[in-house]
Amino acid sequence: MSSPVIKLEQVSKRYGNKEVVNNISLEIKRGSVVAILGPNGAGKTTTIKMMLGLSTATSGLVTVMGQKPNHKQVRQKTGVMLQDVSVMDGLTVREIIRMVRSYYHAPLHADHIEELTGLPPADLNKRAEKLSGGQKRSLNFALAMAGNPDILFFDEPTVGLDSETRRHFWERVRQLAQEGKTVIFTTHYLHEADQAADRIILFNRGTIVADGTPGNIKAGITIRTISFSITHSMFANDDVSITGMAAEADVRAQIEDLPDVDGVKYHKDRCILHTKNTDVLLRHLIERRIPVSDIRIETGQLDDAYANLMDTLKEEI
Amino acid sequence: MLMLLAQSRVEMLRMSRNVYFIFWSSMMPVAFYFLYTRIFTTGTTDSEQWNAHYLMSMTCFSIMGSSIMTLGIRLVQERAQGWVAYLQVTPLPNSIYFGGKMVGQTIMHLFSIIVIFTAGFLINGVSLPPAQWIGSALWILAGSLPFLALGTCIGTFRRVDTASGLSNALYLSLALLGGMWMPLDIMPSWLRQIGNWLPSHSFGNGAWVIIAGGVPALRDILLLAAYLVGFMLLSTYIRNKQREA
Repeated sequence: MSSPVIKLEQVSKRYGNKEVVNNISLEIKRGSVVAILGPNGAGKTTTIKMMLGLSTATSGLVTVMGQKPNHKQVRQKTGVMLQDVSVMDGLTVREIIRMVRSYYHAPLHADHIEELTGLPPADLNKRAEKLSGGQKRSLNFALAMAGNPDILFFDEPTVGLDSETRRHFWERVRQLAQEGKTVIFTTHYLHEADQAADRIILFNRGTIVADGTPGNIKAGITIRTISFSITHSMFANDDVSITGMAAEADVRAQIEDLPDVDGVKYHKDRCILHTKNTDVLLRHLIERRIPVSDIRIETGQLDDAYANLMDTLKEEI
Repeated sequence: MLMLLAQSRVEMLRMSRNVYFIFWSSMMPVAFYFLYTRIFTTGTTDSEQWNAHYLMSMTCFSIMGSSIMTLGIRLVQERAQGWVAYLQVTPLPNSIYFGGKMVGQTIMHLFSIIVIFTAGFLINGVSLPPAQWIGSALWILAGSLPFLALGTCIGTFRRVDTASGLSNALYLSLALLGGMWMPLDIMPSWLRQIGNWLPSHSFGNGAWVIIAGGVPALRDILLLAAYLVGFMLLSTYIRNKQREA
């Protein structure tokens, strides 16, 4: 049971000369809820499409339940909600459910699927194209469940949903996780990945830049800063002939000498230090008697941290 | 097999609810038929023969149009709305998806044929031996295959606008040059030359020959078969090309 349900080995996807996914490898365990997180154009949807067999990898190997993604047995056991999929026109909600059920060997009971749509009974006899945007998404969610799947794929599932429907959706995902189903979803909202997933795979520019539990990811990319004013007037130096300018330069040299500092910024008369460990840095500041005042410790917001990571990644490339 | 029937049933249900389909495949041909046999009488020598002949023309016109336009544009629409991608990730085989459309459409065509034939009987009292009614209906159903294949070619377009524009142009020129609106004999000889090689002419000609008491010519059968194979190859080629992209 511990064997991975999904396995990607050195997978790349190129469109023309454009490398959309660049040599990624990953394994997804049964029963996990995995968020594929990244900004637009990071290769999330392409990766999902390769897992679904909708797109073939230019190189590398994709296996789902030990088979090719487009294998009949895989199709029987996966449920999918894609981006930009409308509903079939000319049929009522009930007729669509009946049609999709007929594709599976062991579908859920029709009543159960109807209930999953969350639609009032009167709307079940409505033509599907007359439903609102949110209702269509709800119907698509119910259709993804029609075959009683073991693995669920949701590509940007909450785009265009109001907050109430969104909350409802994540509640259902948690339920699915409790039932032991494997859930893979893409999103560009960090808080959604944080709330719903037990693992986040962070994509940027076609590569995996981080992979771990939401806690790990956050710790890895959260910025903590210590900021303070440099106070040369109060500074009692042995050598009184040193000018204020030179004193400040001296302080700066001392600051730059501090261990565990990831970055130094000077903003107006304040100095901002980036670090992973504020406690240690603070102790050094005090013990070395560096003449600073008005010390503040700040932890970057999750979304700031995320944006920051994406920024630094852009700079690296 | 059960899957194919279920899928065909769904497709029929959808077509029968499509107002445009009903209008283009039954109302329009019947209206044309009425116009050209009752209002603008051509003064042909044998009006009874002409009424039956033109009934076949209009039936072929209807079925050909529905094969090219309804099938083609629906395929484009379903792809544009992402429905085709969704079906690909369900266990429904691609062949059943296409097969269901073909079978569903063919059964709907049978209904159209019955409606138009009945209209011919009611409007002009067209009467034919049962063998000719049945024979011509079967010919029209079988002869629609190359046009369904052409419809699947139209169905490879990405945009509904281009698909509907092109299929309209194809449909109307095929009908005109194939002699469905007026006999080829009254056209200039160079147009007649072109018309003679079009599938629409062979399609109509088979039906005209049957109601005149004959048997469709081998040339017409072979020409339609060649177009069927050609369009199928073209459609498969384009689809494979698109999948690689």
